Amino acid sequence: MTNIKNPYLPDIATVTRIIDETPTIKSYQVIFNDQETMKNFSFQPGQVGQLSVFGVGEATFVINSPPTRMEYLQFSVMKVGEVTKAIHELSVGDQIGVRAPLGNWFPYEEMKGKKILFIGGGIGLAPLRTLILYMLDNRPDYGDITIIYGARTPIDLCYKDDLKEWESHSDVELILTVDTEFPGWDKRVGFVPTVLNEVAPSPENTIAITCGPPIMIKYVLQGLARLNFKDDRIITTLEKRMKCGIGLCGRCNIGSMYVCKDGPVFSLAQLREYPSEI
Amino acid sequence: MGSEKLKEIVSKVLPEVDVVIGYRQGFDQLHAIPHFITTPEHIDQLIWNPLCVHNLATYLPSLNKKAAVVVKGCDSKAIVQYMQEELINRENVVIIGIPCTGVIDVNKVLHAINYRPVKEVTFENGSILIRTSEGQKKLLLSDLYPDKCKTCQYPTPLVYDHLVGEPVKTDKPPESVDEEVREFEKKSIAERLAYWEKEFDRCIRCYACRNACPMCICRDKCIVESRDPHLMSQKLTPGEKLMFHMIHSLHLTGRCIECGECDRACPMGIPVSKLKKMINLGMKNRYGYIPGINPEDKSPLLVFSLKGENTEEQKP
Amino acid sequence: MATTAYLPKEKMKDWLKVLSEKHQLFVPCLEDDVVLFQLFNPEKNLCFDRPANSSPKTIIFSQCEQLFSFNFKKEPDNPQKTSIELKENLEYPPTIIFGARPCDAKGFMIIDSVYIETDIADPYYRGRREKTTIITLSCPVPYVGCFCTSVGGGPADKAGSDILMTELEKGYFLEASTEKGEALLREPLFEDGSSYIDEAENIRKACYTMVEKPFSDDEPGKKPLPRFHEDTFWEQEGNRCISCGACTYLCPTCYCFNITDEQTANTGERIRTWDACMFHHFTLEASGHNPRPAKYGRLKNRVGHKFLYYPEKYNGVIACSGCGRCIRYCPVSISISNVVASLKDNMRESVDDKH
Ligand SMILES: Cc1cc2nc3c(=O)[nH]c(=O)nc-3n(C[C@H](O)[C@H](O)[C@H](O)COP(=O)(O)OP(=O)(O)OC[C@H]3O[C@@H](n4cnc5c(N)ncnc54)[C@H](O)[C@@H]3O)c2cc1C
Ligand code: SF4
Ligand code: SF4
Ligand code: SF4
Ligand code: FES
Repeated sequence: MTNIKNPYLPDIATVTRIIDETPTIKSYQVIFNDQETMKNFSFQPGQVGQLSVFGVGEATFVINSPPTRMEYLQFSVMKVGEVTKAIHELSVGDQIGVRAPLGNWFPYEEMKGKKILFIGGGIGLAPLRTLILYMLDNRPDYGDITIIYGARTPIDLCYKDDLKEWESHSDVELILTVDTEFPGWDKRVGFVPTVLNEVAPSPENTIAITCGPPIMIKYVLQGLARLNFKDDRIITTLEKRMKCGIGLCGRCNIGSMYVCKDGPVFSLAQLREYPSEI
Repeated sequence: MGSEKLKEIVSKVLPEVDVVIGYRQGFDQLHAIPHFITTPEHIDQLIWNPLCVHNLATYLPSLNKKAAVVVKGCDSKAIVQYMQEELINRENVVIIGIPCTGVIDVNKVLHAINYRPVKEVTFENGSILIRTSEGQKKLLLSDLYPDKCKTCQYPTPLVYDHLVGEPVKTDKPPESVDEEVREFEKKSIAERLAYWEKEFDRCIRCYACRNACPMCICRDKCIVESRDPHLMSQKLTPGEKLMFHMIHSLHLTGRCIECGECDRACPMGIPVSKLKKMINLGMKNRYGYIPGINPEDKSPLLVFSLKGENTEEQKP
Repeated sequence: MATTAYLPKEKMKDWLKVLSEKHQLFVPCLEDDVVLFQLFNPEKNLCFDRPANSSPKTIIFSQCEQLFSFNFKKEPDNPQKTSIELKENLEYPPTIIFGARPCDAKGFMIIDSVYIETDIADPYYRGRREKTTIITLSCPVPYVGCFCTSVGGGPADKAGSDILMTELEKGYFLEASTEKGEALLREPLFEDGSSYIDEAENIRKACYTMVEKPFSDDEPGKKPLPRFHEDTFWEQEGNRCISCGACTYLCPTCYCFNITDEQTANTGERIRTWDACMFHHFTLEASGHNPRPAKYGRLKNRVGHKFLYYPEKYNGVIACSGCGRCIRYCPVSISISNVVASLKDNMRESVDDKH
């Protein structure tokens, strides 16, 4: 037997901090129990991990702390089902299994020197957060950053501390929106695709990166096309039901490609080549 | 074999419905397959012969369309049961009944021809002739009946809007229906457990029995695969398999119409319907109820009454 | 020249006994009316008359595999805190699959490309695979649904087998094509095989031409499945499907699985069990969204995976060995070879035209 690690065996980690983001989303900061593992751990922005609550199961979450800040790994978890409910019941000090990093990542090298347009909705800001923080930590490499982010209500916006901080950067334009009027909300009101239309960013030397609920992505992609963004300048991340996360269990395919291994990050140009089973 | 008359009826019915479900030839002449007719061009492929084994009523509850369906006597019991349980809207279903003289257990044929590829199949009064690379084999239809046909009480559909041909009467004594089960029940509990352990040992949990069953209507939301509630694991242990089949059987208490689809669908040749027949016999003995006969009936377990005739505590 | 040997029929059981001494030996047995791979014992009713109902896949790619067990422990100095211990077991006994058919053996090769010949190999499958020797029986005749010759195989194809046996009039001609196989032929039971080569060759060739060819091989430069994206075709074909797992569970090449946790008190295990892309919940997401909600979409994916997506990734190899099981045992007789023939839009050659 070779001594390559068993890809199904999670590393055990400890929850060190829990942040309530919204009523249904909590962020978890974890560190591996084994110091060597923690020290040697490396990943790329956009890669995901499988979190295990033993006895309940595993589910996929993007690592939303950037590789430039390796004191811990952060995952944000929206409570929707069996595993996510069990994660929400964890407290600081509890043990959790982590299989990471998995999947591909944002082509951040190719984005150097370009202006970046982030468009996120709800928990879809999680993967974008990794890249935004990475870019802010490597600021000179990238041009102007525009972030359009929306949620149902102001309460449903994630990463409120980050948002405040990003707003204070002069070279970051942060545009926040909520779906409907809300007492005390003085920023934009409207769905993300509508706001994108109003803001009408120029496609010139710009890469657009979007993540959010499928319906939002659908209209954002149409909006970007109307603004003349080319397919290979539009990056998105896909979600599929996953189990193995390593391209074996056959669950997450779109045609010949596996979202867990060949994705989750794709350019629109790539996606056009596959059957429309999104 | 009535195919022409059937085509005539289907041509008449098709304009009134979205789809007509009948049979056509499958990958060889020994295998018929369900045929979903949506345009007049499909009608020509329609067939009717003793190889038309499937219970096509099974498709109805999840169809959400106005449909006509071709049924044999046994299949029609599923429709009766759907009516009892209000699982279909009778107004959206056109029933094309076929008086049946018995179908063929295709496995018995395959066995007789040593599983050789089939080149040609013809019928000749009371026999089926099958040509393979080994030559022609003539088999008597009466040797090829599945169990349900050997004791069939209702060869003419119990409900129909159109009947293809004249009604036929059964020549099978009513007692024959539970004979197999009565015999089986004579075995000791230990013998019966050993029997089931051996049979279910080869179950692969493919759920063909469940999904082919007209009365297993939960299908995609079955408790045996659910994690919430989490009653069962996905393991292949004898316990889990027995549990699955017990759940399947108990959910069919007073509902199983003994169409034998579960047996026919099982790729492992497990006589799964026997468990359900045993429960049915209990229902018959205790409540005098037989599922799938009268649309106005209600299964005793679906009727709740504190003061029911048979629900009171049994006095010794 | 490969190592060959000859075994008189009456010595078959002796050989099986020898093999079972040092191996976990699986042989096709008749149970009621069903042929199944079971652990050998001399009382079993061996059956070589037709291929087993289910492929021997589960012997290497186990239908239920424990990935690891876990154990919760209270920390002695801080009982509020529990730690978790994981244990994996990758030790497997030497195993022989005896009496597989060439399509069964090829099935493992198709899985190998995905599970072993990749950057992240599957340790369970690889572990069992390395410990297993496959002794295949060439098919003397084709069976209902067989179409191995249309997908790059054949009734005497050696690919994937350590030893290929061919039944002759009075015995078996054995031919080893790997070292594992050769080792097993060094056994005093055997006679010299060289004088039986011709007899074996004739039998093998005769069967090859008898296998039905539901669709012709690809013409170079032509798109393999020109009608693949006609969704009306899939609806017509798929509406009769009942979404069970018979096709995928019997198939020697299907390899999808599920992973679930089971726990009792302080211990538990993570298991992986076969899953089927034909099941509704296979792709169902927590939000309720399902990318393949309809039966026809799932059928399209199953056929697409075998005849389009897999070949795209693995040098044109088709991920179907033509064993015909999904055709023979489908409760509604959906035929993958007919579907592919229709997708290729070429005429089905009837068996009759050839004999
Ligand atoms: C690449 C990727 C990144 C993701 N990142 C995040 C994130 O950062 N934050 C977040 O809150 N959610 C994320 N998700 C979605 C998250 O994985 C699902 O919400 C979660 O798996 C639901 O699990 P459950 O057990 O609570 O739900 P259940 O419905 O009980 O799910 C049962 C099983 O289905 C699988 N499953 C169900 N729905 C999904 C789904 N939508 N996607 C994948 N697997 C699913 C799970 O693996 C689980 O084993 C991501 C999904 C993918 C594919
Ligand atoms: S359990 Fe079997 S016999 Fe009874 S209704 Fe269902 S398929 Fe028919
Ligand atoms: S069809 Fe047969 S093998 Fe499949 S689950 Fe039912 S009993 Fe088991
Ligand atoms: S797809 Fe069907 S014919 Fe092909 S290998 Fe699998 S079971 Fe056999
Ligand atoms: S999650 Fe298993 S193949 Fe993608």
